[in-house]
Amino acid sequence: MAAAAARAEYADARFVSTQSERLSTRNGSVDQVDSYDSEGIGVRVRVGGSWGFAAARGTAKADAEAALERALAIAAAQPPSRGAALTVEEPATGSYSSPAERDPFGVTLEEKLAVLEEADAGLRTEPQVSLTLARFQAVRVHKLFASTEGALCEQVLTECGGGLSAIAVSGDETHVRSFPTLHGGHMEQAGYERFLALDLAGNAPRVSAEAAALLRAPNCPSGPTTLILSGEQLGVQLHESVGHAVELDRVLGWEASYAGTSFVRADALGSLRFGSEHVNVTADATHPGGLGSYRWDDEGVEGHTVPIVREGVLTGFLSSRETAAEVGLDRSGGCMRAEGFARQPIVRMTNVSLEPGDAGTLADLIADTESGLLIDTNRSWSIDDRRLNFQFEGEAGWEIENGELTRLVRNPSYGGVTPQFWAGCDAVCSSSEWRLHALLDCGKGEPGQMMHVSHGAAPARFRNVEVGVA
Amino acid sequence: MNALDVAEAAVAAAPTGDALARVIHERSLLLRFAANRPTQATAIDDVTVELAVVVDGHLGRAATNDTGSEALRACAGRALSAAEAAAATASSGEHPGFPAVQPARPHHGHDAETAALDPAVGGAALATTFETAERHELEAHGVWTVAEDEHAVATSAGGGTFESTTDALMKVICIAPSGRSGYASSMGVAASSLEPGPLAERAAAKALVPGDAAELPPGDYPVVMEPRAVGSLLELLGDTALNGLAYAEGRGALVDRLGQQVAAPAVNLADSPYFGSTLPRAFDAEGTAKRPLPLIQDGVARAVAHDLRSGALAGEASTGHALEPGGAADGPLPANLVLAGGGAASFDELCTPVERGVYVTRFWYENVVRPKETLITAVTRDGTFLIEDGRVTRPLRNLRLTDSVLGILSRVEDLSASQQLTSHGEFYDRRFAYGVVSPALRARSVRFTDAAG
Repeated sequence: MAAAAARAEYADARFVSTQSERLSTRNGSVDQVDSYDSEGIGVRVRVGGSWGFAAARGTAKADAEAALERALAIAAAQPPSRGAALTVEEPATGSYSSPAERDPFGVTLEEKLAVLEEADAGLRTEPQVSLTLARFQAVRVHKLFASTEGALCEQVLTECGGGLSAIAVSGDETHVRSFPTLHGGHMEQAGYERFLALDLAGNAPRVSAEAAALLRAPNCPSGPTTLILSGEQLGVQLHESVGHAVELDRVLGWEASYAGTSFVRADALGSLRFGSEHVNVTADATHPGGLGSYRWDDEGVEGHTVPIVREGVLTGFLSSRETAAEVGLDRSGGCMRAEGFARQPIVRMTNVSLEPGDAGTLADLIADTESGLLIDTNRSWSIDDRRLNFQFEGEAGWEIENGELTRLVRNPSYGGVTPQFWAGCDAVCSSSEWRLHALLDCGKGEPGQMMHVSHGAAPARFRNVEVGVA
Repeated sequence: MNALDVAEAAVAAAPTGDALARVIHERSLLLRFAANRPTQATAIDDVTVELAVVVDGHLGRAATNDTGSEALRACAGRALSAAEAAAATASSGEHPGFPAVQPARPHHGHDAETAALDPAVGGAALATTFETAERHELEAHGVWTVAEDEHAVATSAGGGTFESTTDALMKVICIAPSGRSGYASSMGVAASSLEPGPLAERAAAKALVPGDAAELPPGDYPVVMEPRAVGSLLELLGDTALNGLAYAEGRGALVDRLGQQVAAPAVNLADSPYFGSTLPRAFDAEGTAKRPLPLIQDGVARAVAHDLRSGALAGEASTGHALEPGGAADGPLPANLVLAGGGAASFDELCTPVERGVYVTRFWYENVVRPKETLITAVTRDGTFLIEDGRVTRPLRNLRLTDSVLGILSRVEDLSASQQLTSHGEFYDRRFAYGVVSPALRARSVRFTDAAG
């Protein structure tokens, strides 16, 4: 950093070592036993308001110096920028490790494969289920961060989890049921104990039976109705229509090239009605187990909590030191993260969660619903580049009549427009139903970066939603 | 050491078994900009060494970015332990193993000037783009990016193969004060082909189409799609219909349909790794030599893409479409799709027969809804217009499409003679640049289910 301080307004360097492991079975056979290790240094400089970032593998001093020279040259080669000064933050110092009772990388491959084989066997109980998948995944990231402002901190974050899916095929019909989620399974910042706690084998027969039942189920009826979303589907809804919409780089238009912009304006704090009074959303980088949790973000800002929506009104953004300063905020939201050493940090979601309400359990909420539809487990998702018009499809739906679940229906889809949809929220289940739901494939940035994040949610009810078969 | 030296050293480090090493050395530079100012600039120099080992038909894999001899031995040890752990289970191993690799056929996919990754060239491209946008009182957003990749595969059965490629991409989105936007992109082997000035002018022209945005109710409309929109649909066709693993497992959209008419007779789609305007690739992640693969001929489905694993499941040979050594979990995909052009001299000519329809520049957030039906959903973006009486008349509010890709292709009436290489240019993970070469097309009807944005 001493070499950078004299040549840039600001500079930081991150050493990142990543270790990951993926195991899976497919139709009862071992399919994947993969491991991946990488390490390197990313150097970021700011000169004349323009950023330059260079990444190089290796840990030698010469590698870091070469990356610094490259970053400086790139910053200098660009047209001048008009970037705002960064928010003033306390330089990060210290070290942190996320809790993990049992190191997932210390457990033998044989033990982990045995858990997956048992789960996969439980899935192969229905003749119409033609493809079964069981997965394990663990990631450990070791980061060292230093800046020209005097920051020097170290953190180790460990994630672990897994999941399973059963795919039933008959003629042109293909249906999938998954547990706990379709998109790569569920992970938390935790050790091997979290993978075991999923009880994949215990859930496998139900998942398989539901996949087969979907082949025989009628299509989801069409029209406006009352919709209850399970916590997992609600997590995806939060992610796409709230989390991305309040990323301040998108709000400022800086992601128009790829991920898009936002219907939310920078001057909308305190005035934009995002939803009903039941809608309280918080971005929390400190929640234990959350995949969006850390002690410091990737520009050294301490992770903290930001109220995003209170009683339906917009109250906060997900931000960085640069974007926060750009709109006159005093502090960064501490949301800068980078995938590995070879990507520049960008604004990412922390754990963006819907606060629990007072509607009791899911059973209570169903009992309180005269007529409607329950959708469980996301299967397909799409939203426009301003985060307004969305269309989601679930793996399974159940009709609700007179406060009871009745028929299973297949291909349940719903769509809407973000503020109107959240305005229709009239009940959120209580804290006993609130869970973290993992999303492992949040893509953003150029070059692309894939990020893990969690969303806390309890099932919630929405009025007058258009449902049907896409 | 170049990538082939590293691949051979990695295979030599494998203590036993049937081993394959793939090495990718990425050197890249990407400049982002927004609202006529640079926002981020990323330079990457990194290597990925992937080692795959097969023991009794069971696959184990490990990867590292450390090319030192000790690190390669450790990586090989992890791959072997993984394969042995898989082989120790009760399950049967079905991986066919890795054959000897032949040297790559030469191609035109490298440009020395581009390989210099000169940031000054990128800086000048941004300056030109900003000047163009400001002259039209617009904001320019986008990226300029170049890369050089070394790519090598070696196996313990013998032989090795190596290629060095370059790629360059620039995309520009111009946004008017009204919020209306226009998109244009250019992609190729050489940075000199990007032409930032004309590109920015094309994007600006779309943002400046006069008139208030009209709104169309949901329904079926005739559509003219530009090459990027067509490319998006064809990429999703790759996922749902052309993926050999999904086909072999009975989940693919072409199961029991090879040899049948699945698209209009004007549709001729192939994977063409040496086509003039594609990004040429000589071999896949398993070292299998690439060659042209007709997929849909005169509307008739002819083949799907295979890697070694899916090919073995289907009783066929690999077609050279592995994305990872040993096969990607989601299966193989065609990476050099080329849709043959038609008879229309221009995009305007494609509009001529349309009384009332939709002109689409590109799609966004495309996602598969029901793969076996090739049913997808997506929203239009950055240049959606109303076609009336044979010409583009005014902007149109963005629309959500929910339709079957094969259904749309079966309703193709005409295609433009000219083709363009396009891509989203996402560059996740280790850079693997690819794109679709396609013309613009006109489809008799496409189903739009909602207004968007």
